[in-house]
Amino acid sequence: MSTLGDGRIDIDRGTVLRGGLLALAGAIALAVVAPIAWLVVRAFDMGIESALALLSSPSTVQITVNSALLVTAVTAGSVLLGVPLAVLTARTDLPFRRFWTVVLALPLVVPSYIGAFAFVSAFGPRGTLADLLAPLGVESIPTIYGLQGTVLVLTLFVYPYVFLTTRAALLSFDASQIEAARTLNHSYLGAFRRVVLPQIAPGIAAGALLVGLYTLSDFGTPSIMHYDVFTRMIFVEYNAFGRGRAALLSVLLLGLTVAILGIESRLSADDGNAYAGGRRGYTISLGAWKWPALAFCTLVVALCLVVPLGVLAMWLFRGGPGYSAGGFAFEWSYGLNSVVVAALAALVATVAALPVGYLSARTDGPLTDLFDRMTYLGYAAPGVVVGFALVYFGVRYLPGLYQTLPLLIFGYVVRFIPQAVGTTQSSVLQVDRSLLEAARTLGHSPLASFRRVTLPLIAPGVVAGAALVFLTTMKELPATLLLHPSGFKTLVTYIWQVQDAGYYGAAAVPALVLVAVSGLSMLVILTQEGDDVR
Amino acid sequence: MTRRAGDDPTANGSDDHGDSGLGRRRFLRTSAVVAGGALVAGCSSGDSGANASGANGSNASSNASSGANGTVSNTSGNASANGSVGIKSFRGSGPLVESRPPLKGPRIDDLPDLSGTLSVYLGGGEGGLYTQFLDLLQKMYPKFDVKLRTASSSQLANTLITEVESGSPKADVFWAVDLGALGVVANNDATVKLPKKVVKPVPKSFHPNNKWVGVAGRARSVPYNTNELSANQIPNKVQKFTDTKQLQGSMGWAPTYGAFQSFITAMRLLRGKEQTKQWLKGMQGQNVSEYPDEFLVSNAVADGELAAGFANHYYSLRVRAARPNAPIELAFTKGDAGALINAAGVEVIKGTKRRQLAMDFIKHLLTAEAQEFFATRTFAYPMIPGVPPVGGLPTIDELNPPELDLAKLSNLEPTLKLMRETGVL
Repeated sequence: MSTLGDGRIDIDRGTVLRGGLLALAGAIALAVVAPIAWLVVRAFDMGIESALALLSSPSTVQITVNSALLVTAVTAGSVLLGVPLAVLTARTDLPFRRFWTVVLALPLVVPSYIGAFAFVSAFGPRGTLADLLAPLGVESIPTIYGLQGTVLVLTLFVYPYVFLTTRAALLSFDASQIEAARTLNHSYLGAFRRVVLPQIAPGIAAGALLVGLYTLSDFGTPSIMHYDVFTRMIFVEYNAFGRGRAALLSVLLLGLTVAILGIESRLSADDGNAYAGGRRGYTISLGAWKWPALAFCTLVVALCLVVPLGVLAMWLFRGGPGYSAGGFAFEWSYGLNSVVVAALAALVATVAALPVGYLSARTDGPLTDLFDRMTYLGYAAPGVVVGFALVYFGVRYLPGLYQTLPLLIFGYVVRFIPQAVGTTQSSVLQVDRSLLEAARTLGHSPLASFRRVTLPLIAPGVVAGAALVFLTTMKELPATLLLHPSGFKTLVTYIWQVQDAGYYGAAAVPALVLVAVSGLSMLVILTQEGDDVR
Repeated sequence: MTRRAGDDPTANGSDDHGDSGLGRRRFLRTSAVVAGGALVAGCSSGDSGANASGANGSNASSNASSGANGTVSNTSGNASANGSVGIKSFRGSGPLVESRPPLKGPRIDDLPDLSGTLSVYLGGGEGGLYTQFLDLLQKMYPKFDVKLRTASSSQLANTLITEVESGSPKADVFWAVDLGALGVVANNDATVKLPKKVVKPVPKSFHPNNKWVGVAGRARSVPYNTNELSANQIPNKVQKFTDTKQLQGSMGWAPTYGAFQSFITAMRLLRGKEQTKQWLKGMQGQNVSEYPDEFLVSNAVADGELAAGFANHYYSLRVRAARPNAPIELAFTKGDAGALINAAGVEVIKGTKRRQLAMDFIKHLLTAEAQEFFATRTFAYPMIPGVPPVGGLPTIDELNPPELDLAKLSNLEPTLKLMRETGVL
């Protein structure tokens, strides 16, 4: 591929670089997985007999089935919502696209347990809706509890994963191919299916994976919606001092994660020819479809933002004194603390994700695939499990770091690095290799061509990944509770505290601050997307 | 708000014990108003640190309260002049509180000053009010600093055990709203014994082995919706709940909640495994609904979503504080697990380098002032005999709590096994 003279040296340098990169990625993957190893150790503590009894008990089976159902339904729902919305905001002449992009991504910043509370409050038995309908003679409304409610709430608050990753893929996608397909007399829909879909599939898959894993690890929503899943059982065991049992169940949950990762890698295996070089904008004219499209966006936003914000506002303004904060006074420093740790977590996770994501996109090797998949394990373990694993590690092996910010941030990285790895990987996949080859032919070193060609092209995806880590860190609760330095309060620890004490009204302000700060970070993403959004 | 409550003729707490049903109802109504007043007042003062005295400040006796405020901030806590005034900064506001009898018990004035940094792990739902109490102490003692860590009781207990096992404890004191969590930590050999002198003011049943001591009691209760049920439809024995027709399909519980698990543990200790299992199955047969915590159970009762539920007594008062007209009242069973009195308590963590400060701190929690705080602000049962419960709250003998060694409540594992076997968990 290179000129004869210095080609040899070049290859050597490339090999060395690749070897170093591989070692680096391996080290990062190992560091992320290390705390999870604690689970296996703990699980072995409890003895084979009781372990087998637990694993084969009817409730374990039931809960496994429930979890699988929930993950499947929420993932499907998120794709059905996220992909059309991404296409609408990225590639059509939908009015106020910038506005819609921001507000459609925002549900991600509403902690799903607050969303669930809001939905129960609004649509539950004797909720606001039932009260409104009662005078009209409506005796009862369909129950929101159970599988359907859990799916509804989770889908509404996690579909933005698919929305964002699909958008990133759409924006770095070479639009000239649509024109080519169109000139070949394909309809828009046909062109989408034949040309666009295969290329944005890795993006959709990355988002769907995040949705699936989030669903698997979420505790609050299923619990509030009265639906029994794995995490609930693990959480109950932990709170009931059944540490060994909880660890074993967590290992089982990780087994489910591995299964999901397997399915996902099979689905996205065919990404060899997915690349894009140009960043030419391409806009589909909606015509009369503009109105249904607007109605669709409005409906989603009404459910995802207006309902929870409305309930928060109700809590805030409801006259009853019980909705005031009692002994808790909100301090703005909690918001600052949240922003600082979330920004640090985003930075560390993004930097650590680069080698892993880059390698897995550029190299077809069992080792790079393994490293990539390894980083996903922490994401599926419930926060409380990762938190306890790190408490255990911290006090035993790193007493100097225990209850300090570095360990807290490491905890966030363990939990959320896949979000950065996924977006980095799907962005790298879309970089046209011939551009890199051109750079190399022009005498740039691999590192320089990465910096000058690849990095600018993947920047939107990388920043989107960083923003995702930032957002999820902002609202992460259980690991924060376990690992924060004593006396260090964040928005969510404050929200948890006042909610737990029953002062719902006091949760309103920090929750609204959370949404506002995260809304600003969405604007950062948009700025990164540059002139693709007009 | 407070003003209006003051005009309420039922506010005279002295005769509230006469008829217990009426007393309770009146108690609920008035104390809800009191809670409302305290909360509004606390809120209107704006500054978190000043909340406690701020609550007084909005009361009729604004002179006294500003005096209290001044005393608190101007002395370092041992001025003999603040005797009765000092109580006021710890007391909630409202008519019931104004008619509080003189209190007996150890006074903060008689204790050594607190000085230094104390690391406290605070577990459980009343974090807000306990935090307020700690703020107050830190105002009294400028050299005293509390490093606070809050989470659920069981989570902190797990953390503490891991820390002590690894030889690097971070906490000096564990203050939890559940005796079970305190017991688990103590049974894992992670605490030091409390000297007799420290626990002396508290009845023996709330410090059975001196590994921990109760600081504020909470009673199991049956909140019910007054539109759906009347008091005499609530069985007075917890066993009868499984075959009471009008409760079919309309009860709620929170089996994952620590207080509920302590309740089932008490049932197991009192009546044995088999009967407890039958009861759990019976309740499932009644189609009982599950909630994540007992505040939500109480809220669902107030909403009419449930006719009745199982919950600690103060949650209903909180609901009433939020919604004074909510149709919710409390019933209590007699002499069984349904009438269990659990407690918030404290223990000192093994390996602490501040043992003396920790002990002095616990002495402060058992003073008349602190107990008055817990009684009038959290509606808890005081743990020292010299401080009565607020208003018409039925006394412990009216409640007929079961004869039970509370230390045994920490033995959760067999309870959880039962709950798992029956599919409740």
